[in-house]
Formats: sequence, C-alpha cells, structure tokens
Amino acid sequence: MNLSRRRLLETGWKIGGGLLGVIAGWTSWELLRPLKAAGATGKIKVGSPGNFQKDTATYFGQGRFWVVNTSGHIFALSQKCPHLGCRVPFCESSGRFECPCHGTQFDLGGEWISGPSPRGMDQFELSIEDGDLVVDTSKKTDGPDHGARQFYRDPLGPSCAGNG
Amino acid sequence: MSDTSASPAPPADDLEPQRHAPSTGRIRWRDSEAWRSVFRHPHLDTPRGRALQSFSNVFLHVYPVKVPARVLKNRYSWRLGFIATVLFTILLVTGVYLMFFYTPTVTSAYGDMQRLRTGVGFGQLVRNVHRWAAHLMVLVVIVHLARVFFAGAYKRPRQFNWVIGVGLLAITLGFSFTGYLLPWDQLSYWAVTVGTNLVSYVPLLGAALRDLLIGGEQIGQATLQRFYALHVAVLPVSLAVLLLVHIWRVRKDGFAVRRGDAGSFAEAASDPGAGVIVPPTTPANADAPRVRLLGVVDQESVTAAEHPADDTVFTWPHLLVRHVVVALGTVAVVLGLGVAFAAPLRAIADPSHTPEPAKAPWYFVGLQELLSKFDPLVAGILVPAGVFIILLALPYVDRNPATEARRRKVAITLFTIMLVTAVTLTIIGALFRGPGWKFIPPWQHSYLEL
Ligand code: HEM
Ligand code: FES
Repeated sequence: MNLSRRRLLETGWKIGGGLLGVIAGWTSWELLRPLKAAGATGKIKVGSPGNFQKDTATYFGQGRFWVVNTSGHIFALSQKCPHLGCRVPFCESSGRFECPCHGTQFDLGGEWISGPSPRGMDQFELSIEDGDLVVDTSKKTDGPDHGARQFYRDPLGPSCAGNG
Repeated sequence: MSDTSASPAPPADDLEPQRHAPSTGRIRWRDSEAWRSVFRHPHLDTPRGRALQSFSNVFLHVYPVKVPARVLKNRYSWRLGFIATVLFTILLVTGVYLMFFYTPTVTSAYGDMQRLRTGVGFGQLVRNVHRWAAHLMVLVVIVHLARVFFAGAYKRPRQFNWVIGVGLLAITLGFSFTGYLLPWDQLSYWAVTVGTNLVSYVPLLGAALRDLLIGGEQIGQATLQRFYALHVAVLPVSLAVLLLVHIWRVRKDGFAVRRGDAGSFAEAASDPGAGVIVPPTTPANADAPRVRLLGVVDQESVTAAEHPADDTVFTWPHLLVRHVVVALGTVAVVLGLGVAFAAPLRAIADPSHTPEPAKAPWYFVGLQELLSKFDPLVAGILVPAGVFIILLALPYVDRNPATEARRRKVAITLFTIMLVTAVTLTIIGALFRGPGWKFIPPWQHSYLEL
C-alpha cells in the first residue's frame, strides 16, 4: 500500500516534470521563433529587358540580386552565395561571379564552376509587367546542380581574387 | 568546536571578538565593535588563525583551509584555469562598463563604437581590454583543456568535471561569437553571416535553427538584439554557474592528480554521498571508516580527509599569494595589450558588399579552412560536432587509469593528432589565406583578423 503510493507519487512527479518541460519548451519557442520577415521581399521593377546588354551583369542593391544577360538569356540571381551566404560580386576581368569567402566561381548564368558551393547561384522569379522586367524576391528557386554547363565560357581574363 | 587534538590551542581571547577594547588612551579601531562586526577575527599567524581566514570569509571559503603542497608549484597546472577565471572577471567588469555606452540597434551600435573611441574617457582602452581579454580567454581555455588532457586529469573521479570543462569551452566560444557581432561593422556582419549559415546545414532542422538564432531570414535588428541578450545575460549567468560547479568539484576531487593518483585516494571523494567525506583510516579507527558531515567534523579531520596529512600547506597565505600574483600579471598583460593595440573597427556593416577576404575570428578559421575544401555538412557540422562528442565521451571511453604518458600512448597520440591538425588548419586559415581564399603567405601580405 505504502509502496504503491510512493510509486504513484514518483511517477506523478516525473510526468508532471515532463509536462512542465514540454510547456516551457513550447512557450520558449513561441516567444523566440522568428517573426515573419519584414525585410526587402516582394516585387521589384528593374526596367525594360532591352536595357540589359548581352553578357553583362547589373546589380540591384535594394533587392540584393543581380540581373544577368548571358548570351540572350536573362536571369535574376540572388547575391547570396549558396555556400555560406557571402555576397557574390561579379568580376569584370574574368566575366565570372567569384565569391570572396571560400572562392567559389560561377559563370555569368550562375552555374557552378569550382569551389565549395553545393550548387549554382539561386534565382528569383522573373516576369514582364507592362513591358518592364519584374523580379519577385519572395519566389526563389535553388541554383542549378553541379555539372550544369549551359552557359559555360572560358574566363575572359584574370580572376579578381588573389590580385589584391 | 571541540578541539580534541593534542596540540595546544592558541589562547582563545586572541581570536574571539573582544567586547571591551583595552583603554590605552588612543582609539584602537580594530578593536571597535563596528570593525569586529565585519572582520570577526584578527589576523593571527598561527595555524588556527590562518584557518579562520578561510573559514570566516565567504570569498576565501571557495578555497579549502589547506591544500596539497604540490598545488603551489606553478608547473603543476600552469594556473591556466585560474587565469581563465581572472580573464572572465576582467570581461565582466569591462563588459558592464561597455554596456553603459552601447545600444544594440543596427542604427546606433556602430556609432556607439566610434563614440567610445573618440568621445568617452578611456572608452577605447576598455573596449581594447575587453576584446583582447576575450581572445586570450579562448586561447587559455583551450590550452587549459590540453594541459588537463596531457596530465590525465580527466580520469576517475574527475570525468564529470572534464565534461563541465567542455561545456565551459562551448560557452566561451558562444561568448566570442555573439560578442563579435556587437560592433556591427563589416568584420562582424560577414563573420556572423558565414557562421550562422553553417547552422543551416544541420540535417532536417537546419533552416529552422538558423532562423531561430538570427531571428529572421537575414541578419538584422533581431539578430543583434538576440546576440546581445545572449552575450550579456544568458551566457554570463550560465558560465558563472558552471564555473562554480567546476571549481567546487576541483576541490572535492582533491585538486589535480599526482602521478599514479587516479583511482586511489581521490576515488573516495567521488563515493556516493555528496557533502560527506571519508577520512582516511588511521590506525585508531582502521576497521571502521567514519563518515561525517562536513559541517560538524573538526577542522583537522576536514583537511586530513582531503589530502594525506603530511603534504598540505595553508591556503592562506601560500596559495593565495600566488593567485594574487598571477591575477595581477594577467591584468598587466591585458592592460598592456589594450594600450598597445586598438580593437579593430572596420566600415559599418554593409549587406551589399562582402569584404575580401571575409574571415572568421581565429578560433573558427580552422573550420573555415575546412569549409573551403569539403562539403559544408562534413566540414561545418560533422567535424565540429564530432570533436565535441569525442571530447565529451573521452573520460568514459578512455578507461585506462594510468596518468603517465608512457602508459597512455594511444590516447596521447590520437589527441596530439587532433590538436596538431586543428592548429595547422588554424594557422593556414588565419595567416596564409587572402582574397578569394587564395594561398598568400603572410610575408607577402597578412590578412589576419582578430
Ligand atoms: C567570457 C566572457 C566574454 C567574452 C569572451 C566576450 C567577448 C566579446 C567580444 C569578442 C566582443 C566584441 C568586442 C569588440 O569588438 O571590441 C564583445 C563585445 C561586448 N561585450 Fe563581451 N565578452 C565576454 C563577457 C562579457 C560580459 C560579461 C559582458 C557584460 C555583462 C559583455 C559585454 C559586451 C558588450 C556591451 C560588448 C560591445 C562592445 C564592444 O564590441 O566593444 N561581455 N564581447
Ligand atoms: S560563402 Fe561563397 S564560397 Fe563560401
């Protein structure tokens, strides 16, 4: 009788403690989980497609992306390196995107060439509204896998990294 | 307290509070009621007087009355744990000072750093000292861990204290990582970008964990505020609590090991029943080991139980003097560094420009080096998690009781390989890498970031 009462209490404490733990975890998560992004997401007009000359990259700081025209194909590439998130600058002399952090290189179309990034540069959805190109930064697709070589070109000249 | 030992007790009235100061004509304020209400006992250079110094002071109480004489030797522990504690204290003091001038918002943080440099008396010095003490603390904690390993001091009964030590290392790294963001300059922004994106490679939970850490999808106000709260509240309290347990157990486990000590006397300290000590059996009670509560046992037995009676010395003044000297030396070093070198402050954080090269602080740069070669899941998650798991499991896996190097060849070889690898990667990453993570030797151009 006594023993079973003790056991009941012991189990009760354990269950009670467990419940408290769950409640504490749940409330903490509700408190700490990130609020929905209020940042620069949404549609950004970047002008007429004709403005983007063949084989160029144009940077749009407010949306943190590049608009590229690689042999007639236009893409909006996220500036964020798929590896660890550094901003990937375009190197005019080599005609490639070269990440300063761990040296990943991408071709003008954002396809992976070399370095530790697990894939090519991510792309934002592009559409045409009233003759203008519109980039929707809330709609992102992962960049092409390693091995994609549709837009590959040999480097135009020396790479930007390592000269400074 | 009944003194049963044969040694003659010092005259009681020398130590007991004197209610009526002898009227010698001049004011003897040390005999005043007020003084005696603060310091209950005069300093007497007798064994009992020395013991009372420790007993009657809450801070000195951390120390036992007597310590094994070997603890006085500097090469014994190189005082690394103590130095780390001193550095933590320096960081607390300078950190609180910085808090008076710092607001964790993306619009003001950077300006506060500049104002500290130009507009606040000794502001730059305090910031420098905080920064260099933080770097030193990481270094000292790591070297402390290595020292404990090579001494074999993680073995029974100290296994759990080693685990606590690994926790202290993790918290120290957390301190540095969260503190690194606070100045909100280019160094901060991109080091933390790289560091937090690593978390997103954790299988399944990665993205959620990362968003939880930075409070959104991009590093911004929420991140700064979270890191600040961690840095000035959560981590200091966690570190203080763990440190307390750590130091408490160092004492309970009879301080560091002697050669061939593991598994012998020290085991007694880990026997079930915390707060209970088992005095070594003496001829008088050999057949019946006594177990007494700490609070009621007489002083001689307390010290005797923790250490063989013959090789102990009084903490006050022997160990204390050494600690004061080491603490002063540590303060002198960080002050010297603070006067000589300014803490870096780059341009204000700019999400549309990554500086070249974007390096992590030195203690993470070995990881960054790995990341430039291997898959992020391997280099960024599995390797560091593996290192921590190996460290945590070490005392339970390595069951060899020996502490001498020649009888622990396997453990020492493996640990040394790990250490050398980490040091090599760190040196390459910190000194031999430039823009685009290209190999550039430091004699051409140094890209070291502190
Ligand atoms: C083990 C302890 C600590 C470590 C390793 C540490 C590390 C750091 C680091 C690396 C920074 C960036 C420093 C800089 O850029 O100058 C920093 C900044 C800061 N820390 Fe700490 N810290 C520690 C303890 C504390 C404590 C206890 C407080 C306050 C209670 C504190 C308050 C601050 C503040 C306000 C800043 C921003 C000012 C600044 O960047 O100079 N820290 N800390
Ligand atoms: S973040 Fe671009 S290569 Fe690592």
